[in-house]
Amino acid sequence: MARVYVSSVINGRSDRVWARVRDFNGLPSWHPGIAESRIENGEPADKIGCVRDFRLRNGDRIREKLLGLSDFDLFCTYSILESPMGVANYVATLRLTPITDGDRTFVEWTAEFDCAPEREAELVSSIGSGVFQGGFDALKRHFGGDSR
Amino acid sequence: MIRIVRSTVIDAPNDRVWAVLRDFNGHDRWHPAVATSAIERGQSADQLGCVRRFFLRDGSELRERLLTLSDLEQTFSYCLLDTPIPLFNYVAHVRLAPVTDGDRTFWEWRCSFSTRKGEEAEMTRMVGEDIYEAGFAAVRARLAASAGLEGRA
Repeated sequence: MARVYVSSVINGRSDRVWARVRDFNGLPSWHPGIAESRIENGEPADKIGCVRDFRLRNGDRIREKLLGLSDFDLFCTYSILESPMGVANYVATLRLTPITDGDRTFVEWTAEFDCAPEREAELVSSIGSGVFQGGFDALKRHFGGDSR
Repeated sequence: MIRIVRSTVIDAPNDRVWAVLRDFNGHDRWHPAVATSAIERGQSADQLGCVRRFFLRDGSELRERLLTLSDLEQTFSYCLLDTPIPLFNYVAHVRLAPVTDGDRTFWEWRCSFSTRKGEEAEMTRMVGEDIYEAGFAAVRARLAASAGLEGRA
């Protein structure tokens, strides 16, 4: 089982950051790697079990299922149903935690998955440094960068 | 039931912060409110269930029991057993997490307790500011000072 963990500090209050990332169909509005997204079967994007079908800017198409969403604990958990990445049993969680010392937010993005052993290092790097950190960098830009 | 959460970011790798916080008997070396501390019955400070008996600078004597400790998650929990301060059913949780974007540490300190009617505001202020925020500041200063020493060495 491969594991990815990336975390950062966003210079905005957790409710504002959550409002930006909560929409399971909203990746194109905040993540620079995502071109378009739709929820299958016309379901609401906060219906647990709904499926998002989205396309990356490089053309790859991915289908993901919403497994858990909490407006109280500020997390979103999902699995990959279909992708060209060559991963199995992929489950990821995006979690926000308020930093009470200043109006900032601690953001954590984790994933666990199975893959061919020779591809693990490359996948961990592309998911962690590319997808997750790329999303955090976009949030940092949107909320005014990282403050210490 | 009163709930308090305080969290901050320390500008040091999480392993260095954990090395300070992990010692359940070490708070008299870093927390400004704690004068002396000892683990009862000669137990090790990482023995689950061990009790630390400590004195605050104002002379108050407290006893707290270690409920959980995880080097993997960098978390621990403890509860108050005896205190002259009106904190009842006080259970606290400490969690560290690496900020991989910058090699810093997220530190969260939370608790729940009840108190005597009329003392809610003062107990909330005391725990949040005098214990948690003062603890953050002390560890931040301690790690900054030791980083400075390393820099000069």
